[in-house]
Amino acid sequence: MTSDIILERRRKSRNVRLCVYLALTLLVAWSVQVTIIDDTDWERMGSLANVLEGANRFIGIDFSLFKDLVEPTIETFMIACLGTLLGVIICIPAAWFGAMNITPFKPITYPLARMMMTISRSIHEIVWALFFVAVVGLGALPGIFAIAVRSVGFIAKMSAEAIEDIDPGPVEAIRSVGGNNLQVLIYAILPQILPQVLGVIIFEWEINIRRSAILGLVGAGGLGLVFFRQMNTFNYHGVMTVIIAILGLILLGEAFSHWVRRKII
Amino acid sequence: MEILNVTGLHASYSSSGPEILKGIDFAVEDDDFFAIIGPSGAGKSTLIRCINRLVEPSKGTILFDGREVTRLPRRELRRLRRDIGVIFQEFNLIDRMSVMDNVLSGRLGYIGNFRTLFRAFPRSDIDQGLRLLDRVGLIDHVDKRADELSGGQRQRVGIARALMQNPKMLLLDEPTSALDPKISREIMGLVKQMATELNVPCLCNIHDVQLATEFCNKIIGLQDGYMMFNGPTEEMDEAKLNEIYAMEVL
Amino acid sequence: MSNQPSRIAGDVPIRWSRYKFPDTFLRYGAWLCVFVFLVYCVEYLNIPLDRLLGVFGRMGDIVANRYYPPDMEYIMDREYLDYVVETIQMAYLGALFGIGLTLPLGWFAAYNMTPSRRFIYPLARLITMSCRAVHEMIWAILFVSILGYGMLAGVLALTLFCTGFAGKLLAEEIEAIDMGPVEAMRSTGANLFQTMIFGVFPQIRVAFTGIAIYTWDVAFRAATVVGFFGAGGMGWYLKRNVLQIETERVAAILISILILVMISETVSAWARGKAMKMQ
Repeated sequence: MTSDIILERRRKSRNVRLCVYLALTLLVAWSVQVTIIDDTDWERMGSLANVLEGANRFIGIDFSLFKDLVEPTIETFMIACLGTLLGVIICIPAAWFGAMNITPFKPITYPLARMMMTISRSIHEIVWALFFVAVVGLGALPGIFAIAVRSVGFIAKMSAEAIEDIDPGPVEAIRSVGGNNLQVLIYAILPQILPQVLGVIIFEWEINIRRSAILGLVGAGGLGLVFFRQMNTFNYHGVMTVIIAILGLILLGEAFSHWVRRKII
Repeated sequence: MEILNVTGLHASYSSSGPEILKGIDFAVEDDDFFAIIGPSGAGKSTLIRCINRLVEPSKGTILFDGREVTRLPRRELRRLRRDIGVIFQEFNLIDRMSVMDNVLSGRLGYIGNFRTLFRAFPRSDIDQGLRLLDRVGLIDHVDKRADELSGGQRQRVGIARALMQNPKMLLLDEPTSALDPKISREIMGLVKQMATELNVPCLCNIHDVQLATEFCNKIIGLQDGYMMFNGPTEEMDEAKLNEIYAMEVL
Repeated sequence: MSNQPSRIAGDVPIRWSRYKFPDTFLRYGAWLCVFVFLVYCVEYLNIPLDRLLGVFGRMGDIVANRYYPPDMEYIMDREYLDYVVETIQMAYLGALFGIGLTLPLGWFAAYNMTPSRRFIYPLARLITMSCRAVHEMIWAILFVSILGYGMLAGVLALTLFCTGFAGKLLAEEIEAIDMGPVEAMRSTGANLFQTMIFGVFPQIRVAFTGIAIYTWDVAFRAATVVGFFGAGGMGWYLKRNVLQIETERVAAILISILILVMISETVSAWARGKAMKMQ
C-alpha cells in the first residue's frame, strides 16, 4: 500500500519537474532567438573563418606602446589605492550605522545605512564614473570617487556583519570597567573584527585595480583611456598590449595581496 | 561597615518579559566574602549584573558606597563602575591583545580618549599592572596574547584586571564554572587571598555549593527569583539547601 | 564612608615597555611607508585638495539643476522597455551559459578533484583567472569589434565574465569539501565523473545555488551597462543620451537601472531564502 503511494507521489513530482524544465528550456530558447539570432547582423559577420580572422587581428603586441603605458599604469594603480582608501573612510560611519547592535538610532540610521550599501553595490562602476565625470570633469578624480562609492557597499556590509557577529563578552567587560563608547569600540569591538575587515579591504582593493583599468573608457583616467584610443585608431595590437598591461597589473595586485594576507592574517 | 545595601530589587530582561528577580534584600559589609547560590535560572547572574547596572533593575534600590546606583546618570554610572571590579565566568578578555594590555584595560575608566587611542597609560598604572601580574603568577606571560593562555591563566588575568581598578568591591559571576575542579579551588583561593590582602569585599555568584561554604562567610540562596536564605555560612544546613535547590531535585 | 581598599605593594618585578625593537619599528615603519605612498599618489595625480570641498558643492548644484527633474516619460517609451526586456534576457542567458561552463571548469580547477593535476588543473585555473581578470566591459568591446554590434557580443561577454567569476568560487567550494564520501565512492569502483555526481555534488549543492544566485546578480548589473559599448541592452540609450548631454534623460535611465537592479536583488534574496529553507 504505502509503496504505491510513494511511487505515485514520485511520479507526480517527476512530472511536475519535467514540466518546469520544459518551460524553462522554452524560455531560454525564446530568449536566444530574440536576443542573439534576431539581433545579430549575420551577414556582416560572415563565416566562421571571417570571425576567426577578426579575432586574429588582435593577436600581437605593439612594442612601441610600452613607454607610453608606464604613466597610465601607475595612474590606474593609484586610482585604485586612493579610491579604496576613500571608500574605507566612508565605510566607517556606514558600517557603524549599518550594524544592528551598535547603530545609534535604529529606526533611522540602520535603514539609511543599508540603503546606502545597496545603492553603492547596485550601480555599475561605469555608471558611477559617468556621473562623476559629468560633475567633476575628466581625469583621475572622478575615477577615485567612482571607485570609492562603488566599494562602500561591499566593505561596509561585510564590516557591519562582522560587528553584528562579535562576542558580547568583551563589550560587557569594558563597560564594567567604566569605559565609554569610544573605549568599548577600540578595545572590545575593533580587535574582534580587524582580521576580517582587513581581509575584506584587501579583497576589494584587488577588484578595484580591475575596475580602475577600465574607468578611463569613460574619461576617468588610467589605462582605460589608452585602450579607448587604441581601439579608435584600430591599432589592434595596441589594444592587446594594453590588455596585457592590465593583466600584468592585476597579477601584481594579486601577488601583493597574497603576501599581505599571510603577514597579517 | 556596609558597602552595599540592596532593598526590594526586581528585575526582568525586557519590559514585557518574565520577572527574573522578585524582591531581593541583603547587605554586604566591607569585610565580607559574600556568596549567592541557587539552581540555574534562579536569577544569580541577573542579580550580579544589576549591581553595576549591566542589567537595569525594574524596581528597588541599590545603595553602593553611599550612592544610589539605580538613579545615576551615565557619567556617574561610569565612575561607579570604576569602583566595582567584575570577574566573569567566560573571562571576557580581549583575545587578540596581550596579557599586559588586558590588565591595563582595567584602568580605562581613569584615562581620557586621547590616551585611549594611543594606549598611553601612566607609568603608575603600568607598574601596578606588573605588580598584580607578578602576584597572580603570570609575570612571565606579560606579552603573550590572551588567547594563548589556559583557562585558569585567563581567569588570573581577569582577576588582575579587576584589581587594577582599585575597586571598592568585587563582583564575581560564576568565576570557576568554566574551569576544572582543581583549578577552580586555586582560583577561589587566590581571589580570597588577594581580596583579604587588599581589603576588598566580594560578592560572588557560585554554582558549586561546596566552594561557597568553603570560601565565603555569608550566603544568600535564590530560587526562582526569590530569596530563600540570607545569613552566615554556619547557619546553612542540609535542610535549607534542599529548600533552595528543591526545584532541581524535582 | 567605607574602608579604603589598599593598593598592592612591592617592587616592580620587571622593566616593561610597549615599544619593542625591532617589531614596533618595523610595524610603524610599514604604516609610515603606506602613508607616504598615499600622499605621493595625491601629489602625482594632481588632486586639488584645497578645492575638494568646493567640488562637493558643485556636485550638489549640478545634480539639483541639470539632473532634476528626471525625464521619466522617456523611459516609459515602448522601445526603451523592449530594450529593458532584452537586457534582462541577455543577463540571464549570460549567467546561464556562464554557469553551464563553470560546472566543468570549476571542477577542473579544483585541486582535489581535477582529472589531471599536471595539465588540466593549471589550464583550468589559467582560464578562470583570465576570464576574471579581464573586465566584462573589455570583453564586451572585444566581442563587439569581432562580431559586430548587438546582443551576441553582450551575451558572450557576460558568459565569459561569469565563467571566470563563478569558476573561482566553485573551485574553492569543491576544494573545501569533506573527502570522506569521495573516498567511499572511489572504493566502490566509481569513476571520476560518478564520484563527482554522487560524492561531491550533494555536498556543494547549497553553496552552488548561492554562487548561481550571486552570479545572476552580478551579470544583471553588468548587462545594464554593456550596451554602452554597443553590446546590446539599455546601456545603448545611456550612451546616446550622455553624448547628447541630455542629462535629464540620463537621470531617468539611471533611475530605471537602479529600479531594475533592486528588483533583481529582491528576487535573488527571495531565491536565496528559499534555497536556505530547502536544505
